[in-house]
Amino acid sequence: MNENRAAERPAAPGTELYVNGNRVTVCTEPSKRLLHVLRDELQMTGAKRSCEIGRCGACMVLLDGRPVNACLTMLYQCGGRTVTTIEGIAPQESGGLDPVQQAFLEEGGYQCGYCTPGMIISVKALLDFIPDPTDEEITEALSGNICRCTGYGGIIRSVRRASELKKISSSDA
Amino acid sequence: MLLNRKNSGERWRIRPDGRDKVTGAMKYLTDMALPGMLTGLVLRSPYPHAAILGIRVDQARKLPGVHAVLTHLDVPGLNAYGIAIQDQPVFCYDRVRYVGDAVAAVAAETLEQAERALAAIEVDYEQLPVLDSPEKALENDADQLHPHGNVLHRNAYKTGDVERAFENCAHIVEETYSTPRQMHTYMETEGGLFVPGTDRLLNVYAPTQHGFMDRLQLSRILAVPQGDIRIVSSPIGGSFGGKDELNVQPYGALLAMKTGRPVRIHNSRWESVRVGLKRHPMVITMRTGADADGRLIAHQVRVTADTGPYATLGAEVLNFATEHVTGPYQYANVDVESMSVFTNNGMSGEFRGFGGNQAIFALEGQMDRLAECLGMDPWEFRKLNLREAGDPGPFGQPIARTDGARQVWKSLQESRLWKEREAALERRPGAACVPAGNPSTGPSDDGHSADSKSPWLKEGIGAAYVMHGAGLGVGIPDPAGGRLQLARDGRIEAVFGYEEFGQGLIATLELMLIETFGLAPEDIRIRIGDTDVVPDSGSSTASRATSMMWKSVQNMRMPFMTALLEAAGRLLHRNPGQLHMGRGGIYGRADGEGEGRKLLLPYQALAASTDEPLMAETRFSYPASPVDRVGAHFLYTYAAVAVKVEVNTLTGRVRVVDQFHTVAAGPVMNPQGYLGQIEGGSSMALGFTLTEDAVMTGGCYLTRNLDTYLVPTIAEHMGRIDVLPIEELPPGDPHGPRGIGEIGSVGLAPAVAAAVRQAVGRWVCKLPIDPAELQERPHFTQKAVAVHE
Ligand code: FES
Ligand code: FES
Repeated sequence: MNENRAAERPAAPGTELYVNGNRVTVCTEPSKRLLHVLRDELQMTGAKRSCEIGRCGACMVLLDGRPVNACLTMLYQCGGRTVTTIEGIAPQESGGLDPVQQAFLEEGGYQCGYCTPGMIISVKALLDFIPDPTDEEITEALSGNICRCTGYGGIIRSVRRASELKKISSSDA
Repeated sequence: MLLNRKNSGERWRIRPDGRDKVTGAMKYLTDMALPGMLTGLVLRSPYPHAAILGIRVDQARKLPGVHAVLTHLDVPGLNAYGIAIQDQPVFCYDRVRYVGDAVAAVAAETLEQAERALAAIEVDYEQLPVLDSPEKALENDADQLHPHGNVLHRNAYKTGDVERAFENCAHIVEETYSTPRQMHTYMETEGGLFVPGTDRLLNVYAPTQHGFMDRLQLSRILAVPQGDIRIVSSPIGGSFGGKDELNVQPYGALLAMKTGRPVRIHNSRWESVRVGLKRHPMVITMRTGADADGRLIAHQVRVTADTGPYATLGAEVLNFATEHVTGPYQYANVDVESMSVFTNNGMSGEFRGFGGNQAIFALEGQMDRLAECLGMDPWEFRKLNLREAGDPGPFGQPIARTDGARQVWKSLQESRLWKEREAALERRPGAACVPAGNPSTGPSDDGHSADSKSPWLKEGIGAAYVMHGAGLGVGIPDPAGGRLQLARDGRIEAVFGYEEFGQGLIATLELMLIETFGLAPEDIRIRIGDTDVVPDSGSSTASRATSMMWKSVQNMRMPFMTALLEAAGRLLHRNPGQLHMGRGGIYGRADGEGEGRKLLLPYQALAASTDEPLMAETRFSYPASPVDRVGAHFLYTYAAVAVKVEVNTLTGRVRVVDQFHTVAAGPVMNPQGYLGQIEGGSSMALGFTLTEDAVMTGGCYLTRNLDTYLVPTIAEHMGRIDVLPIEELPPGDPHGPRGIGEIGSVGLAPAVAAAVRQAVGRWVCKLPIDPAELQERPHFTQKAVAVHE
């Protein structure tokens, strides 16, 4: 884009998006990263800042249900769309947990927890599309999420457990 | 019994900090924000070595939104820091010694304004010759980086006469091993919030492994009493030794004091790479000899560590390596010399394993090479040379007696993976034995092909042995302690100065209290990581925190119980001997266990009706060996690791497909935490072995972020991993659980090297393993070439 035109552009009217079910209008430059918008404008710090180049997955959120790196997503790309963060994946009733969160708790799929929000988002996205993933599918879905603490053992067990829990809850339903 | 959720039964518990971690509610200290907060940034040297001729900040100070621009002139106290030796400038003024050296810092209303201010600071440099290796730094005419020269520290250990002993050896193996500049890569980069207070001068919310040490260091820099500073330091998004030393704290503190406003600093990943500590790259040359029967006779070692520009804990790491290059074996003649050298490379410092990783990679490599020369089974060879229980430690120092060494030896010998190796060897006798005198390459078609359809995939199994010290060692103050108290609201509070950086310390402590006092989780409140409320329990480092919490709880158990039961007895008009603590309160003992038990007095009621504080406190020191050898350890953990690897000889890539870890560290305090420490440690070791290296040339990092610094991903971890803890300690052992925080990160590298040798007949002596070293020309191209010839 021509830089002069960008400079002449009138003040951004604000970008409207839906975050965890709430409509929000963000009046910052549309070229800001979604990660910055979430953490610094909306004070939602569940998505974490770590590499900021799309390599670690700590910042993962769902955009219209698909996992994206919030550090690579521009605000303008989110206009009118639905963003779900770690804070928004649990069922609304108080104390509720998504089966993926429950599985991470039970299996101990975390230590310091800094990778955990992004990891859980990626696992949720995986299981929403593939309820019973193979090892290859787990590898593919999570190889963009780095965990430095656990060695992934607990994470792999959590994925399998989450898959089980989801099956149980859907057969209950 | 293998350690897993099923075998752990009720002791496998959901961590107290788990819920906040899986819901994203956990506030890390770098997540904190306050109204009116400023953003802090630090200006760092673009050069690895340069003289500073001038610093001009006037322009930067005038820019909009800028509230402070600080240089060395603005440091009220000591312009230096360092846990052991304060030789690292907060702000450089005459010279910069590495690309992370700080020259100025700014605080502005927005990040963009702070960036602009940084760009407006003018510094005149005159570049100086870059000492980018220990060899260069040791040259006679090299610039001296510090007044005392370019050697931070030397150490040595000698017994017997190695030169004479080598003459009597039937086999001698000599090799030089080198190890990478491994980065901690905690997922949360350094940062925090610095808040000037009304009740006190400064509140610091920034991760560290020892809040009181940060407080001491900041009080020197700010020239204020320690009591004026409060350090809140947990939770932490990973540390692994990397956040024990100060990082952004001096800048955040100075900026907050100067501006009177809260200041937040949160390093970008690149900032973290360029400034942060790394594992010391070491070059270790070993010459080791055995007699014809396979008994070790002589062991000569030279260690050179690249410690970077400033001390931090470089000397202590070197001492640890010096102790661990001899390890669990007996030799009549030992000659170790080691040296840690200042360079203009990146900072090296504390990192999980603390110099043991490098030392043991080299030592175990020697054991495998010697066993092969002798035509002996490598594990039997180790057994033949293992210290006996009751023998002194590596420095000849008395150590706590355990059977750990033999226990892990046997446990590995009986493991599934080792049996698999033996079965494979029976099918292909001699595969692991290459004629002596040809140490560098063996017959490459020995390796066992993983799959006959993919003949380029070769499998091998190898093992390594680890004896790893815990605690800080002789000569370094190693205080420990804690407090138990009945709070006003009836909670039983456990108060310790340790930090939670993911290892599960809070969960371990909770389980300890439940098991020691029969409490319910709801009865307990754990307070850590805040210098205002906790006693100084020493640093959460050197695999010491769990041992020290256990010991503290043992020490406080009787006094605390007695205090509570006597107070309860007075209230209930009962003999305290008839009472006991349990879930929710005080019970009558005569009622017996189970059904008849009756809650006589809830803790809340007890707290409400006593005026005197009911508490117990303990202070002691980590047990140390009674010698005056600095750094010698008293408590050791033993471990053995077996791995199966698959080497792709077309690409040279190594995959670890199966692991067995056995660890003798006394009772398992927290099964989930223990398993996580070994699995997580071994993942770190896998990176150290295969992919991780923060590459520098000419004192500059080529590695800037996680696109070129490759930590293991889940793809490298789909293989099996078994962890077998050995819990028995000798009867009457007073020391309880030994440290396990580091040992998992040590043994995998030499085990992989041994497995690679078995798979493709090549010895690895440099980490991370370079795939080019393991590539073989495919069979069909060899044929084609033959035809053309
Ligand atoms: S912070 Fe977005 S991928 Fe690392
Ligand atoms: S739990 Fe610490 S990075 Fe994954």
